[in-house]
Amino acid sequence: MGSEILFFFEVVVGGLLAGTMYSLVALGFVLIYKASATFNFAQGAMVFFAVLSFVGFMELGLPFFIAFLVTIGLMVLVGLSTERLVLRPLMNQSEDTLLMATIGLGYVLEGLAQAAWGVEVRRLDLGIPDFPIMLIADTIGIFISALDLTAGAVAAFMVISLAVLFTQTKIGLGLRAVADDPGAASSIGIPLKHIMLLVWSAAGVVALVAGCLWGARAGVQFALVDLALKALPVLIIGGFSSIPGAIVGGLIIGSTEKVLEVYIGPFFGGAIEGWAPYVLAVFFLLKRPEGLFGEKIIRRV
Amino acid sequence: MTDSNNTENILEIKNIEVVYDDVILAVSDVSLNVPKGNIVALLGGNGAGKSTTLKSVSTMLASERGKVTKGTITYDGKRVENLNPSDMVNLGLVQVLEGRRCFGHLTVEENIISGAYTRKLSKSEIRNELDRMYAYFPRLKERRKSQAGFTSGGEQQMIAVARAMMAKPKMLLLDEPSMGLAPQLVEEIFNIVKELNDKEGVSILLAEQNTNIALRNADYGYIIETGQVMLDGSAKSLLNDDKVKEFYLGISSEGRKNFRDVLKETKKSKDQQI
Repeated sequence: MGSEILFFFEVVVGGLLAGTMYSLVALGFVLIYKASATFNFAQGAMVFFAVLSFVGFMELGLPFFIAFLVTIGLMVLVGLSTERLVLRPLMNQSEDTLLMATIGLGYVLEGLAQAAWGVEVRRLDLGIPDFPIMLIADTIGIFISALDLTAGAVAAFMVISLAVLFTQTKIGLGLRAVADDPGAASSIGIPLKHIMLLVWSAAGVVALVAGCLWGARAGVQFALVDLALKALPVLIIGGFSSIPGAIVGGLIIGSTEKVLEVYIGPFFGGAIEGWAPYVLAVFFLLKRPEGLFGEKIIRRV
Repeated sequence: MTDSNNTENILEIKNIEVVYDDVILAVSDVSLNVPKGNIVALLGGNGAGKSTTLKSVSTMLASERGKVTKGTITYDGKRVENLNPSDMVNLGLVQVLEGRRCFGHLTVEENIISGAYTRKLSKSEIRNELDRMYAYFPRLKERRKSQAGFTSGGEQQMIAVARAMMAKPKMLLLDEPSMGLAPQLVEEIFNIVKELNDKEGVSILLAEQNTNIALRNADYGYIIETGQVMLDGSAKSLLNDDKVKEFYLGISSEGRKNFRDVLKETKKSKDQQI
């Protein structure tokens, strides 16, 4: 095989695996969108809050696993207070109101995280090196980072568990019912507040996992909040309400941005991976506004 | 009404007043009773207060910023004021909302199963309940794998009723099941409702604009207008009542006429008076 083709594969595979990290962030958005039809602007802050707390707990001397569990508990607590203090009082208000509330919630979480743990950039060592795995490099000739590979595996695991939760369990059915019509769902006795609590807690756990992987690569810092915005083109391409969409969207964004960066980037003076995904998203908005996997709005006339 | 009768009523509404957003008076004085195992019809035009009355019973009112400001509602011996919709379903009272409100993106079968959410059933028990519902609604069995959003209006009404029945209710509140449906479909749905009442023993409070079909299937009827009960009586007596015939069924002593004719005549007589 020619080294040109090998190099192309390396770029694509690297992009796909990096894309799974976008997918992970996007998953958190999808969860909340599915249950309350709102784009949760606080998701980026939740990623930051979660991973900063995780690192903070480890600095306090907690072992890795205990710190992880404590952070999960903390994220459930965040979900609980969000439901009680933000969602419940705003129930029956328009979706726009909720959207604004999530922006506010985002700032509160950012502030809380920095007030509690400080503002300096931390290093997070997951024990997984962000270097090519030599075994793969030697046998196939492609350089793949161990961290990318781990991210891919973790993303796959999260997606499969969430898909099972949504389609195979009673809670999942309730969740989809609430997403479809909260009024009708409550008329048949589905308790909205339990569903909301569950969704926000799940989104918190997803945020923690995504934060750990991003933090290990880019350092645990405030920029993680903005990184989460990369999930926006992912969602536009995949569809806001679709878990498979989040994954496929992430993969598309990850691979195209890397390929474009490597092959076309030089003509633009580089650094096009920052904006290329948004161009792709605009294209999708024009051609297929509901995204690849998004639910078409059903309306009988 | 005597005390001995009270124990046989599954639902008693006494002089309720309902206000939305603290200012809009939707129901000013409604009292009604539903005896156990009966079908009671709540009749009246648009905006008369039918839906509001039903929602105050199912406690769905709170989610629309409405409030019962006067009077009492007693369901199965319990006051409902401090309960929420999920409590009501657990107590065996389920409302089928106006406009059917199926979960459009879920399949027909998932919609029906979702109705059993509050019950702790095993997979095989759910299967049994589902088959029991399909026996009442054979049409739904054929369409079980379709997305509910793509089924017809009549099928959606059936889904909504079947979904509510999956909670094994003692009492159903039906809000305008005939809305926007072809006459033979309305007939079909009312037949099933009657059958559910007979075989499952479920008591039914039914809000309808279609006075004729509602009274033909009900035991008792209340006619409300601008938030007050104007007239009540057994379904038979209401069907034969001259005023009901003229205003709600469009039949007068001079033969059939429609609502517009009635209006014209009242206008004419007013004009003559002037």
